Amino acid sequence: MIHICNLSKSYQKDSAALNDINLTIGKGEFVFVTGPSGAGKSTLLRMIFCGEKPNRGQVLINGRNVTRMSSSQIPYLRRQLGVVFQDFKLIKNRTLLENVAFPLEVQGKKRHEVSKKVYQALKMVGLENHLTKFPLEISGGEQQRVAIARALVVDPMVLLADEPTGNLDDQTTQEIMELFKGANARGTTVVMATHNQEIIKRHPRRVIFLRQGRVVDDYTP
Amino acid sequence: MFYFLRCAGRNMFQSPLLCTAAVGTMTVSLTIVAFFGVIFFNFEELTSYWGRRIQIKTYLETVPGALVLQGWLVEIREYPEVDEVVYVSQAEAFDRFKERLGQNSDLLHGMTPSILPASLEIALKEGFRNRQGVERVVGKLRKNPHFSDMRFGRDWLERFDSFVALFKFSAGILGGFLLFATVFIVSNTIKLTLYARREELEIMSLVGGTPAFIKMPYVIEGAVQGFIGGLLAVVGSYLIFALFLKQSLVSLLFTMGVGRVSFLPLRFQLGLLGAGVVLGVLGSLASLRKFVRIHYS
Ligand SMILES: Nc1ncnc2c1ncn2[C@@H]1O[C@H](COP(=O)(O)OP(=O)(O)OP(=O)(O)O)[C@@H](O)[C@H]1O
Ligand SMILES: [Mg+2]
Repeated sequence: MIHICNLSKSYQKDSAALNDINLTIGKGEFVFVTGPSGAGKSTLLRMIFCGEKPNRGQVLINGRNVTRMSSSQIPYLRRQLGVVFQDFKLIKNRTLLENVAFPLEVQGKKRHEVSKKVYQALKMVGLENHLTKFPLEISGGEQQRVAIARALVVDPMVLLADEPTGNLDDQTTQEIMELFKGANARGTTVVMATHNQEIIKRHPRRVIFLRQGRVVDDYTP
Repeated sequence: MFYFLRCAGRNMFQSPLLCTAAVGTMTVSLTIVAFFGVIFFNFEELTSYWGRRIQIKTYLETVPGALVLQGWLVEIREYPEVDEVVYVSQAEAFDRFKERLGQNSDLLHGMTPSILPASLEIALKEGFRNRQGVERVVGKLRKNPHFSDMRFGRDWLERFDSFVALFKFSAGILGGFLLFATVFIVSNTIKLTLYARREELEIMSLVGGTPAFIKMPYVIEGAVQGFIGGLLAVVGSYLIFALFLKQSLVSLLFTMGVGRVSFLPLRFQLGLLGAGVVLGVLGSLASLRKFVRIHYS
């Protein structure tokens, strides 16, 4: 599903954020990307959704080389991916309903189809009673659940999550993990970056360990 | 389409401050343009008024026969530079002179119109009301020996020409400068308003919005703001004109011979609205280029 070959990225001349990464992530896998701060976890995820261009190497998703994609093709790639971040990245002046609807509206989906899917997605994360609230009127955990609903509403092939639980307490982290596992069980490939070893211990899945931009360990418990 | 309009509307209502700032700068900028426009058009009115007074007067030593005169009139009317030829008979010249003398007209008591010569007054078409135009017509007229005594105010013509040239030149410089300043200020204001929304723009591109889709509401917003700005500028400059400018322009121009001061012509008012829309759209597009990027860091 995701093939990464010889991928290198450096922001400054002599320090590489990613250094010759080679990885294969299969369809339906659940993968943790971990490692100390500055190891390149976020950079790796950004390479997959074309947030930045690599200096060298390639990323293939479903056989398509996304590093060679033109800027006009990238939006169409992103519609097949779901992204979740530590800071939620919700649009503050739009209601939860509108936030979750946005990826579908972007795709030009019909109105009744949009509202049905949005309602289902918000129901899945347990927020179907807060449709008309704004992001800043709900807790951090709830905001992250909205972000996950937005990522999953398009039935993505891959869910990319960068420290999705970084700002949340244990209880909420647990709830978020359940949502990811649910999505994974329904067939979505999940790639989650975290430095929280506690989570990894509690949810034994494949772990890719990065340090200074290199894969130093890759195991499945 | 409906979706874009809804977004644009909501953006404006949800951040009234930013919206007001953008509309405000456009209003002020366009009002300044309109303000100078009013002055420009009235001075142009002045020059064309003066220009209308450019005429060639040729005195006739002997009063021509009706047929000969008719021949001349027809011939001169065919010159491409000539707008109108009027024959001023001795009697008419006498009447005019009398009128000019006003109270002193009794000086002419006992005199007959024959003391004054008859003349032809030749007015020129719009584009030829300058020194070259006059000289071309004079050159053609010289071929007829009856038109020996011609008057066309050579000195005055030269001053008029250089005045018009200077006027057009300074209006051009000022206009260009104003336009540049307006574009600069407006695009910076729009940049500020978009800076406040950069997160929103980034998120839209993250969930797969194409640049055109993301930009559309903001471009519409810019167009609407520009239209409102243009409208307010027309109204505002009319108020300024009616309350302050009219008085001083009237007293200034009246001494120079123009009795009527007018507001901007309709096509310029519409132009102002159009300029507002164009400014809003271009300003938004230029600033969006900076904030809507597929690759971000
Ligand atoms: N936009 C950027 N400009 C310059 N350098 C960057 C940028 N983003 C990341 N880096 C550098 O690249 C390296 C890897 O950063 P990255 O954010 O991928 O690490 P990370 O593993 O996600 O760390 P963390 O756990 O703190 O989130 C770091 O040395 C960082 O300083
Ligand atoms: Mg990171």
